[in-house]
Amino acid sequence: MRKVCIIAGGMSQWGIRQATLREMFQEAGKACFEDNPMVTNKDIDGLIVASAYTERLATQTHLAPLIAESLGIKTRSVCARVELLCASGSSAIIMAYGLIKSGVADVVMVAGGEKLNTPQKWEAFYSQLCSVDHDFDGAHGLGLPPAALAMVAKLHMKKYGTTEEQMAMVSVKNRRNGINNPKGQFRECIDLNTAMCAKVVAKPLKLYDCCPLTDGAAAVILACEEKAKYLTDRPLVYIMGTGQCTLYNASANKVDWTSWEALRIASQKAYKEAGITPDHIKVAQTHDCFTISEIIEYEELGFCKKGEGGPFVESGQSDFGGKVAVNTDGGLLSCGHPFGGTGIRQAIEIMKQLQGRAMRNVEDAQFGLTQNFSGMIAAQTVLVYGREI
Amino acid sequence: MRGISRLEGKYAVTMDLYPPQGKEFTRIQPFFDNLRQNRFTTTKCKKCGKLSYPPRVICPECLSEDLEWVDLPKEGTVVESVVEEIGVPIGFETPLVLAMVEIPGAFTFIVRIINCKPGALQAGDKVRLSVFEVEPFPAEFGRETVEIARVYFAFEPVDPEKRIN
Repeated sequence: MRKVCIIAGGMSQWGIRQATLREMFQEAGKACFEDNPMVTNKDIDGLIVASAYTERLATQTHLAPLIAESLGIKTRSVCARVELLCASGSSAIIMAYGLIKSGVADVVMVAGGEKLNTPQKWEAFYSQLCSVDHDFDGAHGLGLPPAALAMVAKLHMKKYGTTEEQMAMVSVKNRRNGINNPKGQFRECIDLNTAMCAKVVAKPLKLYDCCPLTDGAAAVILACEEKAKYLTDRPLVYIMGTGQCTLYNASANKVDWTSWEALRIASQKAYKEAGITPDHIKVAQTHDCFTISEIIEYEELGFCKKGEGGPFVESGQSDFGGKVAVNTDGGLLSCGHPFGGTGIRQAIEIMKQLQGRAMRNVEDAQFGLTQNFSGMIAAQTVLVYGREI
Repeated sequence: MRGISRLEGKYAVTMDLYPPQGKEFTRIQPFFDNLRQNRFTTTKCKKCGKLSYPPRVICPECLSEDLEWVDLPKEGTVVESVVEEIGVPIGFETPLVLAMVEIPGAFTFIVRIINCKPGALQAGDKVRLSVFEVEPFPAEFGRETVEIARVYFAFEPVDPEKRIN
């Protein structure tokens, strides 16, 4: 099997955009090529596009050929769209990785994005009913996580003593990291008091505990090692391991809301393939759609013991200088969360961290990790990256 | 010129809050027929004994098609609840009360709580099935358009002190 490298990455501006989905994909593709001038659109033999709500909010299906056309890409190996809601981008990277590893494709652009802010604000909230089991959970008004994650937060607080302050600290940290990110939605620091006193969304989650609705796109280029050597002069960053686990979808079939077994399974597979343990990870981009999710992710990814995610952030272990720097580019809480774009944004940050050219570098990071959960905590996606030594 | 975005008198399947109903559109119509009789039911596999929720047409465990409809308890216990104050999907009113409810002997799921005094619901409270009519959908059969009546359900507090009647 061949080795697979990530050799370029770029983003459109993220936020509430005065732009259509295709325009943002063009911006992201251009930024990606500009990130590595040694690779051009003529070098790309495959395109995988990641987007979840394209039919509902951009009224566009058959998206990949449209994006290929708009970026001057003529594919030979693969041209298709991948959807796994909030993990669409990471899923597309896994698909491209598998195709390159096995020899079906050589140089693949993976582009993901979403147009969520439409003239009528309720469109996105309405579409969210389709993201859970529509007929049996969505019909109760259960859209995307606020309600479910608020319950998870309450249960985690009860069971492990996690506090609202500890949750707020995740937001304060990620907002601080995000001020360096010119492409992110929010670039203002917040202090603990602001986070604690913010408007309640669904108790105990307040405004700054929740990521926003975001328009934006991002793109990366993956290549087989042989081609990567000619298409970049930067240190090679490899995809070392992947895992994607789903155990149940409907709320009635969840076994434990505060213990995310699917994430343990997905991450253990990814670590095993990479030949590492959680201790090797010095930088990680995890799915902080809500502050409580980042806390539980520390635990299930093995960065700390189960139940100790709150003290982990409180003691600075997930910040620069701690055990593992988490969401160094600001995460979903700062950058925003255009579903299909998020996993790609995470990959770009890890690539830059491992090449030593991030906005703020984690010292001596050899391995990095990205993680997303999707739906109502129904699926977990993990990728481990490593740089050449 | 008037676009269709305002949906005057029209039905758009992409905008539908509730499951399709009527034997022409679903194979689990008994679930909705039973709801109409104030019964909360689901399917159980006669071969392996697996109780499924949501109800199925094929057992997700052993893939048998030999399933039977069984009654579930209509009363459950609140494990945890949440009041959603902003950002609820259109079609639902704020505050939207959702609860994790244990249906004894079956499963724990998230369900909407209606007729509930704001802030009254506590872990340990008993809640019970409450069935209501929802918007019918206009279905085309040949040149005829027929309104298909639909029902759905939520739970409500058992304690009259916590209920808005």
